[in-house]
Amino acid sequence: MSDATSPWGRALAQPAPEAAAAAPDLTPSRPLYDGKLAELYAIYLRHLVLMLLTLGWSRFWGRTRIRRYLWNHFAILGDRFEYRGRGRELLIGFLLAVLMLAVWGGLMWLVWIYVFHERPLASFGLFDIFWLSVALIGFPLAYVGQYAGLRYRLSRTRWRGIRCALAGSAWGYGAMASFLVFTNAFTVQLLTPVVSVNLARPRISNVRFGTLPFIFAGSSGDIYGRYLGFYFLNIIAWVVAAIIIFGAIGGTIGGLGVSSEDVLKLFSQFSLRTVLIVAAVALGAYVVFGLLILPLRCWWQAYLFRYLVSHSRAGEVLFATAISTRQMWGFLVLNYLIVVLTLGLGWPWVMHRTLKLIAAELWLYGAPDGANIRQPADRGPSFGEGLLDMFDVSGI
Amino acid sequence: MASHARYYDGESALVHAVSVRPTAAELVIFRLGDAGIVARWPVGELAVLGDTAHEAVPPVVRKGFEARLLVDDPDLRRQLAAWVPQLAPLVTPPGSVGRRVAAFGATLVALVGLFWLAVDYGSEYAAPLLPYSLQAKLGASVFDELTADKDECHGKAGLAAINDLANRLAHAADYPHEITVHVIEGGPVNAYTLPGGILVVYSDLIDQAKDSSQVAGVVAHEIGHTVHYHPMKGLARQYGVDLMVKLVSGGYSDLLNTLTSGGNLLLALRNGRAFEREADATGVALLEKLDLRADGIASFFEQMMEKEPKDMAAAAGVWSSHPPTAERIAATKRPATGKPAFSDAEWKALRNVCK
Repeated sequence: MSDATSPWGRALAQPAPEAAAAAPDLTPSRPLYDGKLAELYAIYLRHLVLMLLTLGWSRFWGRTRIRRYLWNHFAILGDRFEYRGRGRELLIGFLLAVLMLAVWGGLMWLVWIYVFHERPLASFGLFDIFWLSVALIGFPLAYVGQYAGLRYRLSRTRWRGIRCALAGSAWGYGAMASFLVFTNAFTVQLLTPVVSVNLARPRISNVRFGTLPFIFAGSSGDIYGRYLGFYFLNIIAWVVAAIIIFGAIGGTIGGLGVSSEDVLKLFSQFSLRTVLIVAAVALGAYVVFGLLILPLRCWWQAYLFRYLVSHSRAGEVLFATAISTRQMWGFLVLNYLIVVLTLGLGWPWVMHRTLKLIAAELWLYGAPDGANIRQPADRGPSFGEGLLDMFDVSGI
Repeated sequence: MASHARYYDGESALVHAVSVRPTAAELVIFRLGDAGIVARWPVGELAVLGDTAHEAVPPVVRKGFEARLLVDDPDLRRQLAAWVPQLAPLVTPPGSVGRRVAAFGATLVALVGLFWLAVDYGSEYAAPLLPYSLQAKLGASVFDELTADKDECHGKAGLAAINDLANRLAHAADYPHEITVHVIEGGPVNAYTLPGGILVVYSDLIDQAKDSSQVAGVVAHEIGHTVHYHPMKGLARQYGVDLMVKLVSGGYSDLLNTLTSGGNLLLALRNGRAFEREADATGVALLEKLDLRADGIASFFEQMMEKEPKDMAAAAGVWSSHPPTAERIAATKRPATGKPAFSDAEWKALRNVCK
């Protein structure tokens, strides 16, 4: 898709006959992101300096500043977003999550004292029980935290002076997500479209802009065909990749006349040579993996994303995107590599790239009916994101 | 002052194209179309949310109200800032972004250096100050972790002999706490020290030793680690470096954590070369102080070297993060004089500790 034409450009040229009676306003527009990487880095580096000076306690305020910058440099229909969260709200959320974990730890201590202590099966200690239980509750809690975190961020987001919000129960979402993800794992990932659509639905249809609810009209049946194609192509790709990698290793060993004894010797005595050879093999495997598996995954993810966006709307405003597999690769793979290879210093660049991508690829049709959208009475949660922070799943 | 601005009323999502006129006591906001007055905000209640370093257009508000005035026009912003002091954040302060990035970047590099030094020196001096009971608890839990699937040897006389030697050596160094030596069945040919005076020796090391002075040399070396609190220092260093990586990656470290968490407990306990040299020197000195044969450390290395002349460090496992073997042999070489560390009966018992 070229930058100038919207994905529905052609459809717009021939309006459906019944729409002619009361033609809805479907003027296309795209968001505008006008952040500057240098400005973002000035904020981010200051944040890192403060992180070192405060041993990490400044992260709540640093994160808030970064959000304020990103939100306010992102505009829809000429109106900028506003982020009005406070660092101390994140701090309180974090402290509450720590408190919750401490209470849980106390509970596990009691369990250990009264149930496991000095019993024959108690070859594991208090810490084992604690971490095992945290791992078990942590899985659903991470989803609860994701949902609650989204609610917090939306409640601190304003557009045209009107607050956004997220309805629905975070615990309900956590329970459903855990159930779906577990079930999907037991059915060799064949339920992925059901999981994707059902997890996207509450996150979209519970969003409110003022009194205006968002609407999600997707159904997993629509995308099952494409998913099955992806599923089996993915298996074939893994097999091909394995054949290529093992073939290459075997060929190299045979071709160079290296005996298996030499190989064993190489690994029984670690030297620089061993490290180099292992690194070369790993790189080769990664290249094959990167060429075969990841593009396929990006192809599916791009398709899923296009589907989810184009089945969402906010009142009369419709959304669409024509994000391509290559762009999804840049979003998923390249961004990951940037963060890892720069030891985290590439974060602002990744956020900048992501917002530029959204601004370039998200299309809106129509404009909201401002007079009928009212400020909500509810102000949202008074603290935020503690669980997200605890389980280390928060981005910006 | 008739430049454009936008006004959000805070009640609906309508956007009003407006202009503003400051009077002595209030800011009058009126519609551009029909000049109808939209709002009159008392000067004393005006405020700016945010600043220009973070917001492209910081909203002007009346305190306690949801409505917002957005002034895009830089000239109008300057005029407003000059008119009311509390609207000063509307104007970008001087100083280029490049200079700010350079200043914060340089500060960050300097702080990372300082942090590194603090971890280095702090671990050296602060780690031994941790209450000994905590050190012992930590050592015990690491011991359980590392030896969970291994068999411990329980030969009473053998354990008594090696524990007695270890405690004599520690006592000679004025180490105020008790040492506990555990013998684990099997290999590698290895021994290590944990916090809280815990020594772990593998039985393969005892089996392959040519004589008792080699085992005594290894025990003396490990006591050298103990009396210098090397395990605690190593742990403190590891945690310090981990913390720094976490902080410098901005707290968004779930990705990086996975990459860097290779720095696990064992790695923390693998001491640096400086630790090894210090433990070698202390071990030999302690043996000599007790008039015991002190040639065991060097002869143990020599034996290892003979066995695996090419890559001695790799074969010896625990020694792999240690200084070059030839150098250590030269530094610890002593004549085979002095009393044996174990009596014949003790040595025999130690040889049979796993049987």
